[in-house]
Amino acid sequence: MTVRPPTLRDKRRYVLVRVEPAGTPLEQKDLYYAIADAITSLYGDAAAAIMIQAVVAAEGDYVFIRCRRGVERELATALSTITACRDTRIALRIIAASGTMEGLRKRIRTKTATEPGAESADACTFDSKTFTPVYCTGQKVDVIEKGFKNTHRFFLTTEDLETK
Amino acid sequence: MKITDAAVFPYPNGDTSVRRFALEAAALGFDSLVAIDTPSATYGDVEVRSGVLFFDLPVRDIVNRVKRYRETDAVISVKAGDAGFNRAVIGMKGIHVLRALHDADKKGFDHVSARMAADNNVAVDIDLSVITKTRGIARQRAIARYRDILVLEQRFEFPLTLSTYARSVLDLRAVREFTGLCSLLDMDISLVEKALGGVGTVTTPPTPAVRVVA
Repeated sequence: MTVRPPTLRDKRRYVLVRVEPAGTPLEQKDLYYAIADAITSLYGDAAAAIMIQAVVAAEGDYVFIRCRRGVERELATALSTITACRDTRIALRIIAASGTMEGLRKRIRTKTATEPGAESADACTFDSKTFTPVYCTGQKVDVIEKGFKNTHRFFLTTEDLETK
Repeated sequence: MKITDAAVFPYPNGDTSVRRFALEAAALGFDSLVAIDTPSATYGDVEVRSGVLFFDLPVRDIVNRVKRYRETDAVISVKAGDAGFNRAVIGMKGIHVLRALHDADKKGFDHVSARMAADNNVAVDIDLSVITKTRGIARQRAIARYRDILVLEQRFEFPLTLSTYARSVLDLRAVREFTGLCSLLDMDISLVEKALGGVGTVTTPPTPAVRVVA
């Protein structure tokens, strides 16, 4: 099919989304399937066909999602029903919508955070249990309980921790 | 009017501390939270209100337990059951919120219960976690039940509350997302705003109709 001239093309919108918890490794394809599933189960195939959503790019914790102009609100509602991506618990926080990806890049905040794996080896205590911090930014601290079997993430603040 | 998430479950019921819930809730546009089984406090700009949830208890036990919390500022809520149970609970002094009606008996909340809820200033909670976490027939049933309840709300104007039932910070949703999810139930923005302030409505003592001046 030949490429249409710009005036005949569908207008698109880009939605900037932040993936939580921070530092979660996600495949763009897996996220696409999670979003497609959420839209289809909420609005059905007909509405999904009108939305023509796509995961365009992923930069760090941020993801750019494309859709047809005028359906951003429905897309945002569907995105808020996503709770997992390939058995990994996630939440998608909608930051902004724009007509260009460049407009959205201005909204990306770069935070100074302790990257997963680069965390200090210092254990911290909360509720008489020992945890290993996996991600820190500002007051927020994500920790994992010490022990090779337990990988459940807890969400705390610096004030919650008894020793750092 | 404070924008409130009417039920969250901090640690040890969930994986997030109450301080972290408050921090995230402020970022998502909330002024207050009702934290179940957690003492009241204020963290930053967010007020955390203590919440009590009674479930799977007979009416007699609920009466006895409500007496203990009557003098506190806790938001007292009860999980809905059949029609008789719901009417008894709504008529009880000190109950603020009736929860999980999507999960209750289909005829559990009728026009009589709706009128009683409006008269006694008892809110009906809309659990948004059913919409976000479930798929298929379970979600369809919940949406149908809530739509049915909202028809009664338009007629009798009983208070509503909105809650995420978040056990993790990942389950919290922004105020704008609340509006989007409520649009699936045919709730307009003014009704969503009213429902977000529903906890304040039911916990504020009613102003007397007659005021003695001197």
